[in-house]
Amino acid sequence: MTLAWVLRALVLGYVREHPWRTLMTVSAVALGVAVAVAVQLANATAVRSFQSSVNVVSSRVNLQILADGAPFDERALLAVERLPSIVYAQPAVTGTILAGARANDARSGELLEVIGVDVLRPYPGAQAQEAATGAGAQGQHPPSLSTLIARDGVLISRRVAAQYHVQQGSHWNVVAGTRHVSLPVAAVLPTLVGVDSSVVFTDISTAQELLGAVGRLDRIDCVVEPASKLAAAEAALRKVLPPNAQITTPRRRTGEIASLLRSFQLNLAALAYVALLVGTYLIYNAVAIAVVQRRGEIGVLRALGVSRRAIFAAFVAEGAIVGVLGSLLGLGLGALAARSAVAAVTRTVSSLYVFEHADRVVYDWRVFLFVFAIGVIASTLSTLPPAREAAGTEPATTMRAGAFERRSPDWLRRSAAVGLALLLLGGALTLLPPLDGVPVAGFAAGLSFVFGISLASPLGLGVLARVAAVLLARYPSAALGARSLGVSLRRNGVALAALAVAVGMSVAVGTLVSSFRSTVAAWTGQTLKADLFITPPGPQNVGFDASTGAQLYARIKALPAVDAVDVFRGTDITFRGRLTNLGATNFSSLERRAKMEFIGRVDRPQLQRELVGHDAVVISRPFAVRFNVRPGERIDLTTPLGRHPFAVSAIYNDYSSDAGFVVMDIATYRRWWHDRALNSIAVYAKPGVDPGALRTRIERAAQPARLNVQTTRELRAQVLRVFDRTFAITSALYVISIAIAMLGVTTALAALVLERRREIGLLRYLGLRRAEVRAMVLIEAGLLGVGAAIAGLVLGLALGLVLIYVINAQTFGWLIELRVPWRSFAELAAAVVVAALAAAVLPAGAAARMPTAEAVREE
Amino acid sequence: MRRLLALLLIAACCAASWPAALRPYAFTFPRDHGSHRGDRLEWWYVTGHLLAADGHRYGFELTLFRVGIVPGAPSPRPGESRWRNGEIFPAHFAVSDDTAGRFLYAERLARPALDQAGASSDGLDVHAGDWWIRGLEPLRLHAQTRAAAISLRLRSLKPPAVHGQDGISRKGACAGCASHYYSLTRLSGEGSVRVGTQRRAVRALAWLDHEFGSGDLDAGVVGWDWFAMQLADGRDVMLYHLRRRDGSFIPASSGSLIGRDGSVEHLRAADFSIQATGAWRSPQSRARYPSGWIVRVPRAGVDVRVVPRLRDQELVSRGVSYWEGDVCLVPLSAPADGAARRACGAGQGYVELTGYAGEVPR
Repeated sequence: MTLAWVLRALVLGYVREHPWRTLMTVSAVALGVAVAVAVQLANATAVRSFQSSVNVVSSRVNLQILADGAPFDERALLAVERLPSIVYAQPAVTGTILAGARANDARSGELLEVIGVDVLRPYPGAQAQEAATGAGAQGQHPPSLSTLIARDGVLISRRVAAQYHVQQGSHWNVVAGTRHVSLPVAAVLPTLVGVDSSVVFTDISTAQELLGAVGRLDRIDCVVEPASKLAAAEAALRKVLPPNAQITTPRRRTGEIASLLRSFQLNLAALAYVALLVGTYLIYNAVAIAVVQRRGEIGVLRALGVSRRAIFAAFVAEGAIVGVLGSLLGLGLGALAARSAVAAVTRTVSSLYVFEHADRVVYDWRVFLFVFAIGVIASTLSTLPPAREAAGTEPATTMRAGAFERRSPDWLRRSAAVGLALLLLGGALTLLPPLDGVPVAGFAAGLSFVFGISLASPLGLGVLARVAAVLLARYPSAALGARSLGVSLRRNGVALAALAVAVGMSVAVGTLVSSFRSTVAAWTGQTLKADLFITPPGPQNVGFDASTGAQLYARIKALPAVDAVDVFRGTDITFRGRLTNLGATNFSSLERRAKMEFIGRVDRPQLQRELVGHDAVVISRPFAVRFNVRPGERIDLTTPLGRHPFAVSAIYNDYSSDAGFVVMDIATYRRWWHDRALNSIAVYAKPGVDPGALRTRIERAAQPARLNVQTTRELRAQVLRVFDRTFAITSALYVISIAIAMLGVTTALAALVLERRREIGLLRYLGLRRAEVRAMVLIEAGLLGVGAAIAGLVLGLALGLVLIYVINAQTFGWLIELRVPWRSFAELAAAVVVAALAAAVLPAGAAARMPTAEAVREE
Repeated sequence: MRRLLALLLIAACCAASWPAALRPYAFTFPRDHGSHRGDRLEWWYVTGHLLAADGHRYGFELTLFRVGIVPGAPSPRPGESRWRNGEIFPAHFAVSDDTAGRFLYAERLARPALDQAGASSDGLDVHAGDWWIRGLEPLRLHAQTRAAAISLRLRSLKPPAVHGQDGISRKGACAGCASHYYSLTRLSGEGSVRVGTQRRAVRALAWLDHEFGSGDLDAGVVGWDWFAMQLADGRDVMLYHLRRRDGSFIPASSGSLIGRDGSVEHLRAADFSIQATGAWRSPQSRARYPSGWIVRVPRAGVDVRVVPRLRDQELVSRGVSYWEGDVCLVPLSAPADGAARRACGAGQGYVELTGYAGEVPR
């Protein structure tokens, strides 16, 4: 007898009899796989879309000179061109313009990346060049050079042209910084491969003036030929370029961004895989139930001489088939869901890390292959224990009717002991440091908790059943329900574990998000003390150029109602080979105003003396954690004037960037970086001045510049909105895993009732009424729900602590104050119990309607 | 008579706002060697023949164009981007390695920002990156790419020869179809040339054209055949035919005969004949060019066979391609092959053929 025959006999017949159950199992795997695929695709797209904007126009560019911190002097181009091995050099100025802004909403509109290049230097082998030099799109005139060079012409994509209703020759009204400008559309480019459709190309002259970067460059894209001279070219460039011009290759740059996003993406992926893990629990559960239900068939087959190995293989094959079907379905669902996942992830990446725009999902076949493999392997592995059980039972035992489950207290205790050991191991793992910045031990601890709780749950359920039986002794049907729950602990244990893991995940994420949110809210309350905050208009803060910033500062400071003005400047810099943030603000008012929340005992007047007029900095906690730097040390920063040591005076609490912040006094920054641009201006009103009235006065004083002026309350709300948006995808993930678990509970309960039809029949025969049967089944289900809620809460709190104090602390360095949202957890627990009861209504009805005679005849 | 080929990029911007060359023009040197920012188009065009001590022969072309894209070609004002340029400088550089039978060329497009390109208004001093033509006593020129380089010091043997009549060189019947055009027809000197890694010291005999104006070509003109000939007897001849689509030439076609003493005689279309004797099809652009001519100026007793030193001297540009080549002048009386042909007994020259690979842009 071949495996195929056994498979047909055991599995196909069963599937035909229980199509819904099979469908649910397949769906559970499909959902888990879909979530994993969607999140992985979103992660891959985030990195790839950045990559494509790195080599935005030409894949032949093999060397890039990037401004590190402030942009560098454009004359660097001449030094670059003198190198014989550099056969091509394209200077670029980059920034953003705001399109589609509404007059009454300072945060409306879409920020589009502007890349200004010398249009007379077509990129080698690039399509943008074709468009710029005449070939262009069909049905269009070639863009005229005089429009591009002399009249601020722009080259835009079809997408942008369609969205803003402009075409070649028409004028496009946008906001550059704080100014309204009207730019002639020189040409509409066909969709360019590898180029983000939101990029707006202009001549370098236009970009320098629009972005307030006259005389400056952000980037020089070079082609070095032959490529073997790359290293030599780099070394030669290092000697002639300003110190803050970073020389890199597109590949290295992408690597830097990828490593910046790594922690964020790793955490997201970890959460996504928990959904898949819950799915595999359900496969285990479903196969285990099937094994019990098909005991009779197994016995017959065994008696007919089918080997244990064939039985084992048949069940494993079933898991594998469910895994393959579910995974395939999941890949399709995931690909569909990827679009919204990409939107959520890139929005987060843009607001937290680097400005980017993803038009489309990068359907990386490796992601599909990888998640498919994980789905199939996990499904197959999860069938191993029940398959072994099936293969291990003797023909005699399995043939005997009424043998539900071979219960072994030994097994129960062993399982619980291993579970306890895992819990202890998990606890120990939380004490370990991160490995290369990745909290490997933290993730392992989380996994240990999950498996520990799972293994301990049958025993826990047994205890719960016994306690309930004692408590409910007065109500016979309820006590029966409690007792029957205790009968098949193994099966119920798995159902409970699946639900508990899903609940646990929800509780863990809920704990993290709630704690994090309240911490951030408290932090904004302590640090955002000014009355008004001023940034350029647009959905994200892109900063004021130097002259606009200076002008605004002067005009605002001169207003009689203004007491004091703080400025803030932030740029990206590379520190120890990794991207981080450099900030500058005026510390001369530090003594009077608490603008930062310092860690440890800090004497503010003393700190102010240290920071003002000296080469000293304060660092954010994430920076301290990421680079392992402490107060009292000196750190070397690369300034336009060369590398220079800065003394670290203190650490402050910050939640705005996990890449970290180094902050110095604005005067120190300007002295070293020669950069007078500003990102925001904070205004303190004189006592008794209404912020709303002051806002109007500031807006009037700034005319015709457009500003985004927010009151403290609005800004705090804004910070929390960004926070919520960041965690939106996380919340979506745990809703999905709860859904998966509910699927599992429904299947498990239905199966359990069916499995016990003979027992129920006997009870009916012995005089139990229908209502009592229904009550018994519902009690059983309710208890399962209660057990899952308790186990889930315990697991979830443990996981939450791991997330907050181990994983977050180690990867991001965020100091989060624990705050458990008991109320919503109570609601969640109630919902779980209600859901378990609801899931049991149908099976309970079925059990109650079961004809007594038939059931007994079977017995 | 050369026109900016890289003009393909510039969709005839605001030609109307530039003044056309209408009034008689009195050249004053050295001022007129410099740039004329009031005019839309201008070019400095040096072609020549090089001979190394070992007998190795080369031809070369170095052209710097100036194209105004804003009337008056204003420089950036304070506070504006240095890249906000009112004019741009396309440039072409070609070397014909006659002995090795190779033709190398390169083009670039530079703008004045960061002094990457520019032209003095006072005298001859124009550059596009490290390609430049500078000074008169001597005139120095330099150009280099990875494939080839040239560096020469030249002295003019004759005063500037102003073409056309009253300082106006007509390019058609229409009022604005004209430019201002003069040549230094005999520049003699020495320098070096490099092809690949092989550098040689050379003696040079070159020709400079400088033309400026804002005008247009006559309607119906699709291209031109231009001849610059340095005769063995010390006289020089410049001729051009402006071709219509059917191959005929318009009456405004003309030329100049420059005597040994530098005196200039204007030649009308009726005064000369140019007859093609062969053709060559470009493998790159697929264009069919005439190749080899008989040129006659009966009044001056000029009667020569014009023979390209290399068949393929085509510059295939991103936009419009053209043929600009080193030619040999053979006395018509000499046998049509063999040693006489290689000896270039009647002199040497440069020929430019445009409009064969697509019409020239205007």
